[in-house]
Amino acid sequence: MKQLLCPLNGLRPVSEFVYGGEVRVMPDPEACTDEQWSSYVFNRSGVPGIRREWWCHIASGFWFVVDRDTATDIVIATHTADVLRQASPA
Amino acid sequence: MRTLPHACRFPLLTRKSSFTRSPYVLNLLRIGLSRRYPEPRMFRRPERLREAYEVVIIGGGGHGLAAAYYLAKEHGVRNIAVLEKGYIGGGNTGRNTAIIRSNYLTPEGVRFYDESVRLWKDLSGELDLNLFYSTRGHFTLAHTDASLRTMRWRAEVNKHHNVRSEVVDAACVKKALPMLDIECGGHAPVLGALYHEPGAIARHDAVAWGYARSADRLGVEIHQETEVTGIETKGGRVTGVKTNRGNIATSRVLCAVAGFTPRILNMAGLRSPIYVHPLQAMVSEPIKRWLDPIVVSGSLHVYVSQTARGELVMGSTLDPYELHQTRSTLEFTENLSTHMLDLFPFLSEVKIVRQWAGLADMTPDFAPIMGTTPIEGFYLDAGWGTWGFKATPISGKTMSHTVATGANHPLIESFGWQRFGRFELTGEKGAAAVGH
Amino acid sequence: MMYRLPNVAGESIDRNRPLLFMFEGVAYQGFAGDTICAALAASGVMVMGRSFKYHRARGILSFANHDVNALFQIGGLPNVRGDVVELEAGMEITAVNTFGGVARDSASWMDKFARFLPVGFYYKAFHSKLLFPIWENLIRSFSGLGRIALDAPRIRTPKRYAFCDVLVVGGGISGLNAALAAAESGATVMLVDEGARLHSGFMLVGDTMRITLLLSQVSAHANIEVLTSTVAVGYYADHWIALMEQQRLTKVRARSVIFATGALEQPAVFRNNDLPGILLMSAALRLLRRHAVAVGRHVVISARTTDDYAAALEFLRHGVAVTHIVDARTQTADYELTRRLKERGVTFLTGRAVIEAHADSKGCLRRITVAKAGAINENVTSVDCDALLMSGGWTAATQLLLQAGGTVRFDTGAQMHLPEVLPPGIFVAGRVNGIFDVKARAIDGQRAGYSAAAYLGMEVKDGGTPSSHPGALARVKNLPTPIVAHARGKDFIDFDEDVQVRDLEHAVQEGFDSIELLKRYTTVGMGPSQGKHSNTNAARVLAGIRKVSADQVGLTTARPMYHPVPMKHLAGRGFTPERVTPLVARHDALGAVWMLASNWRRPEYYAVANETREQSIAAEVAAVHEGVGIIDVGTLGKLEIHGPDAGAFLDRVYSGRYSDLEVGKTRYALLLDEAGTIVDDGVIARMGEESYYFTTTTGGSVAVYRELLRWNALWGLRCSLLNVTGHSAAVNLAGPRSRDLLSALVPMDLGNDALPYLGYRETTLAGVPVRLLRVGFVGELGYEIHVPFSQALRVWDAIAEEGAAAGLRPFGVEAQRVLRLEKGHFIVGQDTDGLTNPFEARADWAVRMTKPFFIGQRSLRILQRRGPRQLLVGFEIPQAVPSLKESHLAIDAGEIAGRITSIAYSSVLGKTIGLAMVKPALAPVGTKLSFRQNDGSMVTASVCETPFYDKGGERQKSVIASFSATVKVAASATQKAGGSADEAAALSFAMHGTAGAGASLEDRRQRKRIGIKGPLAAAWLEQRGITIPDRANSWTAITSSENDVVMRLGESEFFFEQSVYAEEFKTLASGLTPPVPGVYPVLREDRAFALSGSLADDVLAQVCNVNFRPLILSERHAIMTMMVGVAVTVVPQGNVSHRRYLIWCDPSFGDYLRSSLAAVIDGLRTS
Repeated sequence: MKQLLCPLNGLRPVSEFVYGGEVRVMPDPEACTDEQWSSYVFNRSGVPGIRREWWCHIASGFWFVVDRDTATDIVIATHTADVLRQASPA
Repeated sequence: MRTLPHACRFPLLTRKSSFTRSPYVLNLLRIGLSRRYPEPRMFRRPERLREAYEVVIIGGGGHGLAAAYYLAKEHGVRNIAVLEKGYIGGGNTGRNTAIIRSNYLTPEGVRFYDESVRLWKDLSGELDLNLFYSTRGHFTLAHTDASLRTMRWRAEVNKHHNVRSEVVDAACVKKALPMLDIECGGHAPVLGALYHEPGAIARHDAVAWGYARSADRLGVEIHQETEVTGIETKGGRVTGVKTNRGNIATSRVLCAVAGFTPRILNMAGLRSPIYVHPLQAMVSEPIKRWLDPIVVSGSLHVYVSQTARGELVMGSTLDPYELHQTRSTLEFTENLSTHMLDLFPFLSEVKIVRQWAGLADMTPDFAPIMGTTPIEGFYLDAGWGTWGFKATPISGKTMSHTVATGANHPLIESFGWQRFGRFELTGEKGAAAVGH
Repeated sequence: MMYRLPNVAGESIDRNRPLLFMFEGVAYQGFAGDTICAALAASGVMVMGRSFKYHRARGILSFANHDVNALFQIGGLPNVRGDVVELEAGMEITAVNTFGGVARDSASWMDKFARFLPVGFYYKAFHSKLLFPIWENLIRSFSGLGRIALDAPRIRTPKRYAFCDVLVVGGGISGLNAALAAAESGATVMLVDEGARLHSGFMLVGDTMRITLLLSQVSAHANIEVLTSTVAVGYYADHWIALMEQQRLTKVRARSVIFATGALEQPAVFRNNDLPGILLMSAALRLLRRHAVAVGRHVVISARTTDDYAAALEFLRHGVAVTHIVDARTQTADYELTRRLKERGVTFLTGRAVIEAHADSKGCLRRITVAKAGAINENVTSVDCDALLMSGGWTAATQLLLQAGGTVRFDTGAQMHLPEVLPPGIFVAGRVNGIFDVKARAIDGQRAGYSAAAYLGMEVKDGGTPSSHPGALARVKNLPTPIVAHARGKDFIDFDEDVQVRDLEHAVQEGFDSIELLKRYTTVGMGPSQGKHSNTNAARVLAGIRKVSADQVGLTTARPMYHPVPMKHLAGRGFTPERVTPLVARHDALGAVWMLASNWRRPEYYAVANETREQSIAAEVAAVHEGVGIIDVGTLGKLEIHGPDAGAFLDRVYSGRYSDLEVGKTRYALLLDEAGTIVDDGVIARMGEESYYFTTTTGGSVAVYRELLRWNALWGLRCSLLNVTGHSAAVNLAGPRSRDLLSALVPMDLGNDALPYLGYRETTLAGVPVRLLRVGFVGELGYEIHVPFSQALRVWDAIAEEGAAAGLRPFGVEAQRVLRLEKGHFIVGQDTDGLTNPFEARADWAVRMTKPFFIGQRSLRILQRRGPRQLLVGFEIPQAVPSLKESHLAIDAGEIAGRITSIAYSSVLGKTIGLAMVKPALAPVGTKLSFRQNDGSMVTASVCETPFYDKGGERQKSVIASFSATVKVAASATQKAGGSADEAAALSFAMHGTAGAGASLEDRRQRKRIGIKGPLAAAWLEQRGITIPDRANSWTAITSSENDVVMRLGESEFFFEQSVYAEEFKTLASGLTPPVPGVYPVLREDRAFALSGSLADDVLAQVCNVNFRPLILSERHAIMTMMVGVAVTVVPQGNVSHRRYLIWCDPSFGDYLRSSLAAVIDGLRTS
């Protein structure tokens, strides 16, 4: 079973985590066009390669960020969510 | 709820007749009595790629080969190259659990898959190959009143389109499947089921071979071990395809590469909602026949059928995260076995011999993405999620029409590329809980 | 014919323990230690099974767990592998898949007709629509192996997690040396072997002294755990290997893996190479050495190496008559051996090969034909014999290596695929590495052991030479396995599937010319032995036909399982998490009929004597309308959010506005996804300036809480989320008399001014702190009462007692559905589907499009412009229509125009009411809808306004005086359940003997707890002089006793537990009223256990995938992990010799976790 290095809980089997999908940057809802918005909502970077993803450690409810190669399942790095802190859309 | 539908009594168990009356026995006599083995190649291995083809089909799976066959047969397009990076039928065509049904939730879904079932029934004859298309009946078990509600919804929509589906009660399930533990190990008692009489299975590999042979006979070139490395476009229309065996000029390309769609779309510079998760399956040692219908439990994530060889072919839900790799996981076999034994406790000693995985194109609304794309001459047959196999003949038909005419076939209108941009998703999402 | 020899040194049978058994209705005798096949062979039984396709007589081939032609049926047990399964007294054994018995199988006519059943014949016949079903029936009656008994019981087996530094697969010479070398270097080692004992796959091994020494060293070594009769069945990501033991599955996490998996002997291919009496050389040796079974009275050896000559001598020494040795080589390698064999009268046929075998009347070996090697028509002679030992050459057992992502290359010298690229941390040793010489295998094993240790950064002993490749060691040289195709066929490549050479040729002729296509068309390698004896030969044949190298042909993908695994092993105990509210015992006592709601059990309704289900539900509804009813709503998600940005956060995630909600007020909340689809709803109450309490749906609580956490992690607003779903129970007390009833129980005025409709208050009930939400979901005056899990029973009982006089009646989910329907409230997921947006659900009122931002808002703008595709409408039918059900369709002009999402007959309104999702055109009030029922008949309904009942909401606002109708007292409602869960729990129990011996589980739910969370919590606690752990996920004692702990969970949450509600707790609690910014109390009602005893670690090994053993106790870890599917916090305490584990979990999972742990402890005790 795959293992993930959780920044809070250390190395744990992947069964202790929930996958939160690709980290996607929300366009400014006020500024963006309908096309840009629907593309943000529905489209995905489905091409295999290194992705930045959301993962949650179930028992601690701890969300963090994983850089993972979706072609090989090799985890390149894990970070706390701070790396994503973006100005709130509002 | 109605009482036991007719087919719960499994006609195929009761028919009596002498099989030797079959004219097909002559076929075996011919082979058996000839000095040299008389059978020709089913499909050739062309030495080289030509510089140009009228149509290039990417993907030598069931869908691609079917499209090639119908293009050649019904639209007179013979100058076709089917490009397969591995061997034909080596992708999801050969990795699925071969279940065929049409008990979908939306009218567009039901119409589409019902037409597919119609084609399936005559396919062995049409391709002159025994595909072991076996109508078994299909039970989707309900363990909660919520799923029972969804099943009635599906049954009503099905019946409206003359598709034989019925919600049956627990007693009927027990009657049709006396061996089933209706209490489900006490966790999730079976409240009823959606019974779908036309539910069937088939020998998946043979489907690819049959279409390949028939397409080949009509002049279609099937190029195995030929990997597409690029899509060439000019001014918003497709002009050619690059491969590891050289470049091809063409004005029409059909992409039918379930599991690899995002890679090809990327070559064409297109972004789509499709994301890829592995879907696993496993098979048991052959045991004597004991199970006729196909049994599915959405809440327990189980679907199972018994092949003509006697093996139990079992599947479950998607793997939980994106991966473009067909590795196996132990958790899959553990969870699936647990739930299998909840339903069929007596299988405790039955052994699993092999597990495998395929790559499933997933879409936000659990419906395929078919037809024209923003690139002129570039057509898509993708997003099949976990149920592409059952659509093989109809997707071949509709895509060949679409490629030949340049306009989407009426049956695939609501599966169009542009629906997401317009927030007009199909309603299959509601039925997702009980798939396959 | 085979027979038993007098005592053979080292035999593993006990001749003093004869065992009687039946085979195919005939009685035989074997000895303890025999396998089924050995006992049959010793009794002269040659034909043990029939082949899959042609039903040819078959016997022993490999005698190594791969003999799928000697599969047996024992009672309900199908496909028993007789070559390895030990004989038991009284076994009644039959061969699988025969028609009329193995001796005279009537289906053997298939063999005669083989030419008319060519490869893939079933694709070419019987596909007329009419005849296929008959044909399929025929095929299905022939196919399949063993039979299963449909009444066989579910077998629950333990499963275990294990951890080690180095896993060594294979206990042969190389494996033993590898294990020892790694262990000597300080690694913890697990050594597994298929055989009943180590070094079981033995071939000729000269120096037995050395072996004995080695075995004793290994078994004596403290660092080495040995598992025999254990098959490594699959390699999975990150060195996660499945080990199939006889009675359980062990899932081991290794840091490094050594495959010393050896090699599989391959059968030679010639006509009739499958006859009983023809075996692999290794099989014959095992039969001799372990079971003292002679393979025949006239034995011929088809030899290819010196080892075979030595083997011949060994047979002769034991009096087994080896008459001939056939050797393809023109001059034999070893002069001395040859001389000694000739002395014993062995005839040598050199430069020859076996080209055909002949059967006697029983289908067993009678004679072989031999001809010049490579020229089947020259020097043809024949030799009578009843046993032929095939030394066919070997193929390395690389399956696991390939599963691990390693690569192999065909070594022309060794004539087999050998490892090429090894993934990180993976090593190979011995024969799988192409090293066959005994001494070299030992050295190679050592090398691998040291390499693994070095890979783990360990100090390798002198002489250890870490390297991933054998280096100087010579890889074995081999002749290719003889494959003599015969014009008349029956030259079998695959014994599982009856695939002959010609089948492969024909398949290639038909275009199936790649190894994968060849496999799928001919089914070569698809049988139960998964090609262990056929893949290599098949690849070789294909290479021959295509005139390419074996490497160009390649191999089919290697996948788990390496060896078939029973589903009971994979399923284990089959734990399925289940949640219950603290009131479950009361519901049972009241006759609750349960239904499943996600993983909760909820009362659907309460069965009452002499009432039908419908009557009971109707009576429950009436009770709420006319008097007072109570429902357990404890399954609702219950969340809190605290902090200066709490309001802003809620404004962003929910569609409504909450930053402007008055303290002490509640407001409906609708949650959308980013596409604008309704995903959940609930009620939000403002408890204070910076704190809110809110609910989610039962099914949505987990996902909603998790998603909110994600948004919070992304936005980083100044607020903290708490999930108290399981820690807080809740009931809804509803009906015109609910106020009177509640007033008698709470020390506060419940008048409309003190607690108005949609108001929120905190008070006490029966001395218990409770939260009151005055909500209107069921349409009558009503109060949701939220109370700590542990106090729920006291509150329920108090209400029941007080309510008895008022005719209080419990009501279930069904009644609640009717009541809310009368109010026109939709249920997310029932009245809405995966695409419904708020406009379509007519919930525009709950959406504040004017807010700067909320999730889904941008999509709603698009959807608003697009207009609705469907609309949720209320409809009514003047009479009762029980046959009309949810999901029945609305039909308009012959087309589907919508569907019923909710429907019920309302007694209070005297008509059928419902909600339907319909085309917008049909939405206007007054429109006639026609619904189609099951039988096809139509029912007409008319669209009407909602709510159906109490349109102005006067009743739930209770502006009119509640008319007090007299309602029948449901007798059951006042009954109290005997033996409350509290009492039960109060007595902590020991499962097994006294603590210390075995394992004991103490239920510690009675202890006192308090939680503190928030960005400033640590500072606040320190400032108050309270010692707290300085590291996240660790604990310290707050008194002299380790029983009294404070845990730091993550950075900002603290969890105190003590045997008594101590002073500190009081001051902590009081210190937070009035609220302190950045410091928030957390309701902790955890269920707690203490697991101790010598078997505690073994218990954990079955339920938790975390390795607790190496943890240093002094580091005081607090580990948040999963246990049988439940989130838990675990604190290891005590000392090395006596460990105990404190375990906490959400109280709603408490009973499930306790019973699961109890089951495991019981299992350990009985085993």
